[in-house]
Amino acid sequence: MTKGVKIALAFLVGAVLAACAWLFLRPAPGGSVAVVKQDGVVLQEIDLDKLEEPMMFTVKGDNGILNTVVAEHGRIRVKDATCPDQICVHQGWISQPGKPIVCLPNKLIIEIRGEGGELDAVS
Amino acid sequence: MPSPDKRPSPVRRLTRCALLTAIALTIFMAEAQLPAPVPIPGVKLGLSNIVTLYAVYVLGPGDALMILLSRVFLGAVFSGQMMTLLYSLGGGLSCWLILLVLRRPLDLNHMWLSSPISAIFHNLGQLLVAAAVMKTWAVLAYLPYLILAGVCSGLLTGMAAQALTRRLGRR
Amino acid sequence: MTPKFFKRLTGTALALTLLLTGCAPAPEPVSRDLFAMGTFLSLSAYGGQAQPAVDRAADLVTQLDNQLSVTREGSEIWAVNEAQGAWTQVSQRTFDLIRDALELCRVTDGALDITTYPAVRAWGFTTDEHRVPSPEELAGLAARIDYTAVELDPATHSVRLPEGMMLDLGAVAKGWAGDQLSALMEEDGISSAMLYLGGNIQTVGAKPDGSNWKVGIQDPSGPEGASLAAVEVSDQAVVTSGGYQRFFEQDGQVYWHIMDPDTAAPARSGVLSATIVGGRGLTCDALSTALFVMGADRAARLWRDHPELEFEYVLVLEDGSLQISQGLEQGFKLLSPYQDRKVTVISHDERG
Repeated sequence: MTKGVKIALAFLVGAVLAACAWLFLRPAPGGSVAVVKQDGVVLQEIDLDKLEEPMMFTVKGDNGILNTVVAEHGRIRVKDATCPDQICVHQGWISQPGKPIVCLPNKLIIEIRGEGGELDAVS
Repeated sequence: MPSPDKRPSPVRRLTRCALLTAIALTIFMAEAQLPAPVPIPGVKLGLSNIVTLYAVYVLGPGDALMILLSRVFLGAVFSGQMMTLLYSLGGGLSCWLILLVLRRPLDLNHMWLSSPISAIFHNLGQLLVAAAVMKTWAVLAYLPYLILAGVCSGLLTGMAAQALTRRLGRR
Repeated sequence: MTPKFFKRLTGTALALTLLLTGCAPAPEPVSRDLFAMGTFLSLSAYGGQAQPAVDRAADLVTQLDNQLSVTREGSEIWAVNEAQGAWTQVSQRTFDLIRDALELCRVTDGALDITTYPAVRAWGFTTDEHRVPSPEELAGLAARIDYTAVELDPATHSVRLPEGMMLDLGAVAKGWAGDQLSALMEEDGISSAMLYLGGNIQTVGAKPDGSNWKVGIQDPSGPEGASLAAVEVSDQAVVTSGGYQRFFEQDGQVYWHIMDPDTAAPARSGVLSATIVGGRGLTCDALSTALFVMGADRAARLWRDHPELEFEYVLVLEDGSLQISQGLEQGFKLLSPYQDRKVTVISHDERG
C-alpha cells in the first residue's frame, strides 16, 4: 500500500466513523424541552423530563408585568401573572408541543419543542 | 510495422464520449426514480458518477469533464427541472475535482477507494448548493446521512467501475 | 483484496444504500413567530421555497393587521368606526371581507354579529378593566348591535354604520387571514405548511410525509390545558371558539368574551367550545363564534340546512359530552384520558 492509498483509506474510514458518531451521539429527539421566549429572545430552555424538583422563576416585561412560571417534571405553566387578562394563567399546564402559553402584554411565549408526539397543533 | 498509436482517432474519441454521456444520462434518469436519501428536492445518490469515475481514469479529466457537463445539461433538460441542474452541477463538479486529485495516488486498482471518497465530495457539493438555494446552513445537518449513503453507493460504483475497467482493458 | 471480498462488499454496499434512501430524518420546517392581530402567530412551512414564502406571509399578516385592527388609529376599520354615520371608503380586500362576514351573519341568523364591539368594550375586555354592566346598560348596548344596519356600496367599496355602532372583525379576521396566507403559500409553491394564528389553525396540504395533520381540541374545563380529542385534516382550517379562552371571574360568576348579540352579555347556550373544520378559514372562524352562541340544536340545524358552507363541527357541551357532525366521524378521535366521554354524531337525517 502506497502512502497515498493509506491517507485516502484513513480519510474514508475517518469520515464514516465521524458520521456514525454524529448520528448516534446527537441529542435524542422526543425529550420534552420547554422553551421560554420573550419577544423572540430565548430566555430559558428547560428539559422537563430531566426535572426532578419543581422550579419557579419570574419573567418581567418592559411594562412592569410579571409572570411567575412554574416548571415540574414533564410540564410547565404560568402560575401567576400581573397582566389584566390572565389568559396565560388560565391556559394551565402544557406538556406537549402544539399549543404555546402566551402572555401577550409581556410578549412571553412558552412552548414545548419536540417531535410533536400525537398532535401537530392545538386549536 | 505499424506504429502503435496510443491516441484514438478523433471520431472514435467523440463516439466514445457520446456513448458514455448517454450511459451517464440513462443512469441519471433511472436513479431519479429512487427516493431521495434526504428530503431536499433535487439531491441525488449520484450513481451516474460511475461514468465520471471511469472517464477520469481511462479518458482523462478533459473528456471526463465534457461528458459530465453534457450529462448535467441534458439531464436537466430531460427532467424538466432547473433545480436539478444546480444540484447535478454542484455534485458532479465536486466529484470530478476530487478525482483529479486522487487519480494519481489512487490508480486503477484502487478505484474502489477513490469512488466512495469522490461520492462524499459529490454529496458535499450538493449540500453546499442546497445551503445556497435555501439560504441556510441548517441543511448541513444532513451531512452524516449523505456521507454514509455516499460511501455505500460509492463503494458500489467504484467496485463496479473497477471490474468493468479491468474487463474492457485500457485502450 | 480478493474477488470474494469485493463481492461481499458490493452486496453489503448495495443493501445499505437502498436502506439508507428511506432512512433520512423528518425535514425541519422553516418557522416565523410574530405578534399580530392581537395574538401570537407561528407560521411554519416545509420545502425548498419555505423561507421566502414564510417571510412573505409574515409581511402580509402585518399588513392585514394594520388594515383591520379596530384599535389601531388609522386602520381602515378604525376609520369606518370614527366616521359615525358617514360613508367611508375601504380597500377592495377589506370591503370583500366585510361583505362576506355580513353574509355569514345572515346565514347564522345573527348569531354571528360583527357589530358587537361596544358590548365587548363595555365588559372591559379591550381595556382590561373588567366589569359587569347594569341591565339598563346592556339593553342599550343590545339595541346598538345589529349587523343589518351596516350598509355597503360595492361601486365605491364604501361602508356606512349608523352613529353609535361599531364594526369589529375580530371574530373573522384570523380565519380570513389564514385563507390569504394559505393562498400566498400555494402561490409560492409550498405544498405543506402549518399556520398557527393565535389558536386558528390553517393547514396547507398534508404533512411532508403525506399524512394528515393532527389538530387537538382543548378541554375547555381542564386546568391541564390538555386536549380531549383530535381531528385529522389536510388543506383545511380548524378554529375553536370557547369562553374559556378569555374570561374573568367576579363574585363567583364567570364572564367570557363571546357575546350574545341579542343580550350584549356573554353567550350562554350550554356550549363550552365550538370547533369548526372546513376548507375556508373565514367560514370556520365565523361559524365557531356563531355556533358557540347558538347552542347545540340551532347548530345542528344550521349544519343540516346549509351544506353549501362545507364545514364540520365539534361541540363540547356543559355536561362534558361532545357532539360531532357526521362528516367528521372518520377523522375524529378521543384522546386519553377522555375516552369515556359521550360522543353524539349528528347526522343529516333529523331523526337520526
